[in-house]
Amino acid sequence: MVFKPVSSPHRHAALSTARVMQWVIAALLPGIAVLTWQFGWGTLINCAIATATALLCEAAMVALRGRSIRFYLNDYSAAVTALLLAVALPPLAPWWLVVIATASAIVIAKQSYGGLGYNPFNPAMVGYVVVLISFPLEMSSWLSPQSLLAAGTSHASLGESLAVVAGASADGWTGATPLDLFKHGVNGQLVDTFYAEQPLFSGAALAGVGWEWVNLAFLAGGLVLLGRGIFTWHAPLAMLASLALMAALFWDGGSSTSGGSLPLHLFSGATMLGALFIITDPVSSAVSTRGRLVYGALIGVLIYLIRVWGNYPDGVAFAILLGNFAAPFIDNYTVPRSYGHQRARRATEHPQ
Amino acid sequence: MSDTPPTAGPGLAEVAGNGLWHNNPALVQLLGLCPLLAVTTTVVNALGLGLATLLVLVGSNAMVSLIRHQIGDAVRLPAFVLIIAAFVTCAELLMKAYAYELYEILGIFIPLIVTNCAILGRAEAFASKQPLGLAVWDGLMMGLGFLAVLLLLGAIRELFGSGTLLANMQLLLGSGASDWVVRPFGSEFSFLVLILPPGAFLVTGLLIAAKNAIDERREARRKAARGQLAKGAKRVRTTGHIA
Amino acid sequence: MRKVWETPGGIHPAENKHQSVGRPIGQLALPEQLVIALNQHAGPAAEPQVAVGQTVLKGERIARSGAAALHAPSSGTVVAIEQRPVAHPSGLPAECIVIACDGRDQWAERQPLADYRSVDRQRLLDTVAERGVAGMGGAGFPTAIKLATDRPITMLIVNATECEPYITADDALLRERADELLTGVDIASYLLGDPAERVVGIEDNKPEAIAALRAAIAARGADHAPVELAIFPTKYPSGGERQLIQIITGQELASGALPAELGIVCQNVGTLYALKRAIVDGEPLISRVTTVTGRACAVNGNYDTLIGTPISALLAHNRLAPERLARLIMGGPMMGIALPSSELPIIKTSNCLIAADDTEVAAEQPAQPCIRCGLCAEACPASLLPQQLFWHAQSQQHDKLEAHNLFDCIECGACSYVCPSNIPLVQYFRAGKGEIRQQRADKAKSDFARERFELRQQRLEQQERDKQAKREARKLAAEQAKAAQAASQASGDEAPANSAAAMIAAAQARAAARLASPEQQREKLERAIASSRARLERADANLAAASAEGADAEALKPLLAGQAAAAQKLAQAEQKLAALAEADSAASPATESTASADAELDAAGRAIAKARQAAAEREALSPAALLDRDIAALDKRLTKLRDKLVAADDDQRELLAASLAKLEAKQQALHSQREAVADGV
Repeated sequence: MVFKPVSSPHRHAALSTARVMQWVIAALLPGIAVLTWQFGWGTLINCAIATATALLCEAAMVALRGRSIRFYLNDYSAAVTALLLAVALPPLAPWWLVVIATASAIVIAKQSYGGLGYNPFNPAMVGYVVVLISFPLEMSSWLSPQSLLAAGTSHASLGESLAVVAGASADGWTGATPLDLFKHGVNGQLVDTFYAEQPLFSGAALAGVGWEWVNLAFLAGGLVLLGRGIFTWHAPLAMLASLALMAALFWDGGSSTSGGSLPLHLFSGATMLGALFIITDPVSSAVSTRGRLVYGALIGVLIYLIRVWGNYPDGVAFAILLGNFAAPFIDNYTVPRSYGHQRARRATEHPQ
Repeated sequence: MSDTPPTAGPGLAEVAGNGLWHNNPALVQLLGLCPLLAVTTTVVNALGLGLATLLVLVGSNAMVSLIRHQIGDAVRLPAFVLIIAAFVTCAELLMKAYAYELYEILGIFIPLIVTNCAILGRAEAFASKQPLGLAVWDGLMMGLGFLAVLLLLGAIRELFGSGTLLANMQLLLGSGASDWVVRPFGSEFSFLVLILPPGAFLVTGLLIAAKNAIDERREARRKAARGQLAKGAKRVRTTGHIA
Repeated sequence: MRKVWETPGGIHPAENKHQSVGRPIGQLALPEQLVIALNQHAGPAAEPQVAVGQTVLKGERIARSGAAALHAPSSGTVVAIEQRPVAHPSGLPAECIVIACDGRDQWAERQPLADYRSVDRQRLLDTVAERGVAGMGGAGFPTAIKLATDRPITMLIVNATECEPYITADDALLRERADELLTGVDIASYLLGDPAERVVGIEDNKPEAIAALRAAIAARGADHAPVELAIFPTKYPSGGERQLIQIITGQELASGALPAELGIVCQNVGTLYALKRAIVDGEPLISRVTTVTGRACAVNGNYDTLIGTPISALLAHNRLAPERLARLIMGGPMMGIALPSSELPIIKTSNCLIAADDTEVAAEQPAQPCIRCGLCAEACPASLLPQQLFWHAQSQQHDKLEAHNLFDCIECGACSYVCPSNIPLVQYFRAGKGEIRQQRADKAKSDFARERFELRQQRLEQQERDKQAKREARKLAAEQAKAAQAASQASGDEAPANSAAAMIAAAQARAAARLASPEQQREKLERAIASSRARLERADANLAAASAEGADAEALKPLLAGQAAAAQKLAQAEQKLAALAEADSAASPATESTASADAELDAAGRAIAKARQAAAEREALSPAALLDRDIAALDKRLTKLRDKLVAADDDQRELLAASLAKLEAKQQALHSQREAVADGV
């Protein structure tokens, strides 16, 4: 018998990249379900368009690079990017918006850098930001949650939703997000008065009717992933902790110029989605666990800064991109101490 | 005294080819990117700055070439910058006199033509070593190459960013040009990211990629043609990867 | 229960040990041929000490190198000493001694040493080395060297961990022969100077082995030194030396350091058992316990295997089904080598053979891009960042690899095991380490070459400077001589002595300025002698010529001085040579060169004597007497010239007349000088 030489180890754990991505998709499902319940068919249509666009773009780019399409599409990473985008974009957004966002994410932010594993920035966030700054009007037209719709009405049926996506208007169902409302709606009122006036807040336990459920659903999905060991707790906990800390530090008891309460920041907007699904994207985050703590904390601080003192109601996307920027620098200073060494070394240290 | 010995100068066609394609200041040398990316939001802006740069390039090349034997080696760069600054001031004053609104729109980027490395680079690398005629020709070709890229970039960004083409041409070309504007996508179209700096970088990158792709295709075609002729010849590869 | 610490990282692969521990350790039939590889130990390959055709007995030593030795595992005839394929990751063949067994399995004379404590430690270590005991847990490091450490040892750790899946050789050994193992522990303790602690580190997945150990410890009695058990949770890779030290003591071994620096020595269970057999039973290391496992074999178990047994024999004994065999692995599934064929011999470190079918090995899959998930960093027992090491190994950035502590990687394979993208991480690290080692070797070579070049440059420059100094000294001496000459014209009798003395002094200075080895000195002296002789001859010739021409004392003076100087130099050189010859002959027998030098010395001596005499004569004379002599010599010359004039023909006559006139003028001058001296002092 003659055998080919193969290097050790000769056995392998069961996890594969495709399996990791499939788990992430599975963990997104509760959030998608809640979004559909609260806001109608829009999210599912977004998912469909985004996934189709992502797979097409990835196949085209991989073919352009002269590689095997099947091998590269089988790792499900394009699908994950598409779903994250679809969830972040407003439901019933025009179809071309979704297409442009997904195409930018896959073609520019991912494949131009070399494909999976080589992108310095999170592709979903890049796609989101491209359309956010290009089409501010479309990106700020969200829907009212189910519980706030006028009695008797419900969200658009599938057919009507498709029509809106194709270009019809959606006036009957629009509404602002809690953060948007908080940023632009408080006109010299105390927070409590404002909350009492706004049905979006008065009916909510934490932070905006419907929106808090969305965030809780994403939190649940993320905790499942944490339990499976798909990612470590360092980055999400650091981000949530630093965001909470910032909100608590700057909470002045609810005056008219306050930045928003702690529950508002933690449970509205894209906070939970960002904490558990986007900053845990391993490719663009810091490498060591200590680095991930710093990375998460930095992003939490930036989210608060942009939300309260920046121009945009929700700063998760920009904060994450800025964190991606800082990740290599953080990596340089957070190399763990290895066995047999007195102290940790810097990654750019010259060998003795 | 410039101490580089005069060599046999390149031909006119070669200089033209370099300036317009092979050594294009914006797409190959990647010089002068700051004004390139900042003012190419519309065609009229791009045209204005491009013409100003062309004027300065031709003038400074001519001047530098004329005095190239008199400038000492140690002071040549400050001397070149002085010459370029003089021409930029002339261009700025001309623009201020004859195209005031455009001058206002372009703002700081007109004086910043002084810092455009393409101009200083040509003065140092070419005009200070070549006779007058060739230097002027080179300045003209480089300037036209730069202008071409500016116009292309401006057209793409304006068309896909704001949905118009040739808007506000009256700022430069007189009131008769105000109705040249076209709106092929209707009046509501806008894709803001292309007007903003990220879009500028993306479109420039795509233009460079397009140029490289065209070059590669021509090279491949030329090789195929040559390969067919020299069938029996043996060539030993000493560089490149063996596919 | 002894306290244990936890190591970072680690994985928990399926153990798959139950298949091979169900039965006691089996015996195998004697194979037809035994192939003993000569490069089994860590370090240089052993040198064969038998010849082809020689008959050997079981246990007879057949190869030796330093502290490693190889012995014939069975009696038979040496049929070949040649290159044979061996189980090495490089796949290269190695020199092997092939023994054809004669079936009698006859032992050579054994020398048991039950009372090892009465033997001096160094002699006992030599015996250990002679009997070929080497590390059987991995690298085959000669045990005699490991136990010969001169640092104080406070702990002997017995590595019974066997953390890799599938391997049960140490487990079986412990279950059946724990008492013999403990004897081995005692021997090792004695060799290490009786360390304070003896700890057996074992995982908790071997309850039977633990029970057997406990029973054996209890049965020993109180007069033996105590042996502790440290039982810790099963995790791969706890059996690595560094990890085991951390588990048992909580201390970390500094990067690049040996355990002896912490006062610890680790030994594998198999090695200690072999130590007992070698010393107490007198049987050199010729067999080991090997696990044969894997689904492609119908039978799995542990066997006492002779070193050099072909693997195919083992597999045949275990009823291998060749069509099911997907991969043959020597070692464990995490760090073992995939063998290219089964016609390879067992070596001292072959602890396990896995005949795996395709359900037991991971199918080879193309590697996907690294998604930087960090699972590898979580699994790494050395707390490295494998994803960063992979990144830098791919792009061959060697300084970044070293900054991330690449050489602390123990190549356990835990990172490759968990990688979701199937990247062969360990392979990249091995390649990176190899490249860096090659770079270091190249750099050392080029540094050495540069040093040699610089030294050579220095030597050449020094030679140049020496030559220059010689030239200067010579010039100085000549000037001094001239000055002395001029001075002697005015002052008088000190002149020749001065000039001669000055020349001598100059020559001495030159000699003193040189530092030379005896050989160089001899060469220099011989050269000096030759040149001095030549100069002396020239001076003689000049003097003779001048005398023949009838030169006066003035003209003669410098020539005489020159002759004297040359003679002096010759004398000095000969003296030195003689001294050197004396010193040499005191240390070693005289050579021919000194004999010939002696002959030369005689000739030189005669010439020197003559020159000395002439100089002495000149010195002895007073200025007046000197002048008288000169005048007399001049008169003689004049007479000769006048005679020539008479005898010459016309054209010569003019010349001669001119010379005559000159000489007559000189004579006048000398006479007046003579009168002045007479009138003066």
